[in-house]
Amino acid sequence: MARYGMVIDETKCVGCYACRVACQNQNHLRENEAYNYLEEREYGQFPNFNREFLPLQCQHCDNPPCVAVCPTGASQKRKDGVVLVNEKDCIGCKYCIAACPYHVRIIKKEGYIEKCRFCIEFVEEGGKPACMTTCMTGVRLFGDLDDPNSDISQFVAKNRHRLRVYKRELNTKPRIFYRKA
Amino acid sequence: MQDKSLKLSRRSFLRGSALTAGALSLGLLDFQSWAKSNAAAPVRRIPTICNGCGNRCSLFAYVKNGRIWRIEGNREANGNQGVVCPKGHGYLHDLYNPNRIRSPLKRVEGKFQPISWEQAYKEIAQKINIILMENGPESVFWVNYPQPNHAYALRFMHSLGSPHYFTHGSTCYTARNAAWNFTVGKLPSNDLANSRFIMTIGRNPAGGIDLGQVRDIVKAKERGAKIIVVDPRHNETAILADEWLPIKPGTDLAFLLAMINVMVGETLYDKEFVANNTVGFQQLEDEIINYPPQWAEKICDIPAETITRVTREIARAKPYALIHRGYHGAIGAQYLNSFQTARALAIANSLLGNINRKGGIYFPESAELGELQPTHPAPAGPAGPKADGTGIPGRYPLGSYGDGISHAIPELALRGVLKCGFVYHHNPLRTNPNPQRVIAGYRKLELLVVIDPVLSETASIAHYVLPASFYLEADEAVDTKHYGKRAQVSIQRKVIAPLFDSRSGFQIIGDLAKHLGIGKYFNFTLDEANELRLKPLGVALKDLKAKGILPVGEAWKEGFGKLETPSGKVEIASSTLERLGYPAIPRWEAPLVSPDDKDPHSFRLIHGKQAIHTHAMTANQPYLMAISRRYDMIRLLINRKRAEKIGLKDGDVVKIKSLVGEGEIRVKLTEGLHPSCVWLPSGYGIFSKHLTTAYDQGLSYNDFLPTLFDPTVGHAMSSEVIVQVKKA
Repeated sequence: MARYGMVIDETKCVGCYACRVACQNQNHLRENEAYNYLEEREYGQFPNFNREFLPLQCQHCDNPPCVAVCPTGASQKRKDGVVLVNEKDCIGCKYCIAACPYHVRIIKKEGYIEKCRFCIEFVEEGGKPACMTTCMTGVRLFGDLDDPNSDISQFVAKNRHRLRVYKRELNTKPRIFYRKA
Repeated sequence: MQDKSLKLSRRSFLRGSALTAGALSLGLLDFQSWAKSNAAAPVRRIPTICNGCGNRCSLFAYVKNGRIWRIEGNREANGNQGVVCPKGHGYLHDLYNPNRIRSPLKRVEGKFQPISWEQAYKEIAQKINIILMENGPESVFWVNYPQPNHAYALRFMHSLGSPHYFTHGSTCYTARNAAWNFTVGKLPSNDLANSRFIMTIGRNPAGGIDLGQVRDIVKAKERGAKIIVVDPRHNETAILADEWLPIKPGTDLAFLLAMINVMVGETLYDKEFVANNTVGFQQLEDEIINYPPQWAEKICDIPAETITRVTREIARAKPYALIHRGYHGAIGAQYLNSFQTARALAIANSLLGNINRKGGIYFPESAELGELQPTHPAPAGPAGPKADGTGIPGRYPLGSYGDGISHAIPELALRGVLKCGFVYHHNPLRTNPNPQRVIAGYRKLELLVVIDPVLSETASIAHYVLPASFYLEADEAVDTKHYGKRAQVSIQRKVIAPLFDSRSGFQIIGDLAKHLGIGKYFNFTLDEANELRLKPLGVALKDLKAKGILPVGEAWKEGFGKLETPSGKVEIASSTLERLGYPAIPRWEAPLVSPDDKDPHSFRLIHGKQAIHTHAMTANQPYLMAISRRYDMIRLLINRKRAEKIGLKDGDVVKIKSLVGEGEIRVKLTEGLHPSCVWLPSGYGIFSKHLTTAYDQGLSYNDFLPTLFDPTVGHAMSSEVIVQVKKA
């Protein structure tokens, strides 16, 4: 059984938003519905200045608060680690939106809740997530964390000391690992 | 947005044209509903090229049940190397934009009426024939942002006997091209991937996106290359860089002269290369002594020790070191000194001995398409020169005859020299400086025909609008845009059937020719023409259609050969320039205008691209505009300290005023901008009411620019403008 995860290299994102629009196309989203977000941060004072973009999306937590609070079981964690919302069971109560510390869930026009799905249907057909394959700087790596030969496992092995998870203190155990500068 | 209060009188001209494309029902399913009903439908994957900007990236388009679903990059393409930018993904939705024109239109008493193609062609031909008889063929012009079919547009003009084919070049890149031409004989490329030291000056491939270049910069960085970005704004490329040097805008020439001064003074240049492959080094030595870093510091605001240090660093990495060949910013069409700045940039690279070397500046392999003749004889071509003065001593002798000076069209129309024009895939009313003047000029034309999928600003005042097919709806001419270490040919393919009564650019050009009695020069089908042009490359059209892009010719090889300059060498000193009355060696030349240091409200207005927009073309794209709004990107950037001095807080509305225009916009305070300027993202400020998503969102820098022609190549000098910024 695969155990999917992602690495996001914080040092590479230039804030172009290609991930957002590629994902919208892949997942048939409307223009105001997005699963990818960028947080821009600025540091320093002129002329000693820098900025960075932090790409955010569903962290596919091992300990997902959205699943814990969902009254109908619509938010689920699959065996392969992917957290999904089953739209048929979702009643749109928004508990998961309140519970998610990453603020990456949206309310679809149809009334149910959605968020990044790791393009799982596409991945199962042999594809890769659209946010990853479109990126000009190669911010993301996606793959099977249980396969020691996968790109992502090799990257994690090499860069372990520079990886972090977002909001680690909340013990959500995200499956997206951020590589810091 | 709060900039609703924007009141420019140019807007009023659109009143009265009452065609509301949005009111017509598209009958298209919402993307999501369509997806639901087609979840299990078979998917077709068709190779084509993108038209979201000028890079024409190679793509695969996925079609489900006759509707575009998604696109992905073609990994074989050296231009985009398998990836797609946000504009590419977003722009495909314009296929389904309700603002699209559904049939040819004729303007009658200020209102557009749909007419048939046949009637449109007949009426256009009839009017042109009268203009030709009364004023001669030189009174007709064609202007386009070049498309794969630009060779046919040129053929069309030559068949008519007019020299007046224009591109957008004079508002974009003509100073850069001229300077490289005069120095090394042609425009080179950058071998970024193999470079160990990359410096960009006024070039931002991560914002004004060039996908392949960004991927190569990342590759170089991963191998340990140092990257330095010289730009008044902390641009997107600066995020990837080791160092940002916030230069005072308009003074890049001083910075480069000082770099050359250090290279020469400390003998850091490639002596062997200079001795064998350049002319005029001695003259450079004599001149450059005037420009030490201490001098430059006072002008360009980069500390002298920094200039010395980075020059030593880049020289240490030579010849695997380069200063990016540049584009629009700083050296393309911005300042009075852009031509000399580009010359200095080319010379600095030459001193590094990096010309046509691995990791340096190189001459890319580019596909040379075949000719249609002798099968289809070419027209004789025009007899006279261009009325804009390009290539004419005493006027714009360094100007690009091929591009022309397109922002001179309104002037030539007002003078009665041009009477009739075709505008194709271009929108000069929005992308040329000083819109009121541009409108006055284009309105003076006796006949204006615009070929566009939507009613752009320019189309809105046309006599006839011919609906061009969207790029996903039409086969097109073979294209050579993917050049690099190996030449490639690519092709735009019809991915789905046209939604409306539109035609491809290639077909419209041929149809017009037939109706104008010059059909004998267009007696071929697209496939036949494509086959003829591919023939010498040994590529079969059906193979190209199947793959989308194919390599041709030999791979690039390192090595310095005879250059296409008069001396056959790198012309550090140019006798041609001297003869024409320009300095043989670049000299310091101040910008035309500068902000008033004593006036806290006086700023230079500069502009640049956001990664999500192309020119004025994508602002009407809801997927891209949603990003502009969600991330509050339609704002004027201003240095925080300068803003606070005039009582501005982040998000405040300001009034910007120049000699020719004014407008209101919200500000973003940042530490990432040189204090002498304000920065406006380009691509906004759409004033055609027929573009419902983009209309009245933000401002364009063109609103504030006077009509200017630099005295060398006649470019627009689009950052030579001082504005007053005050709280509204």
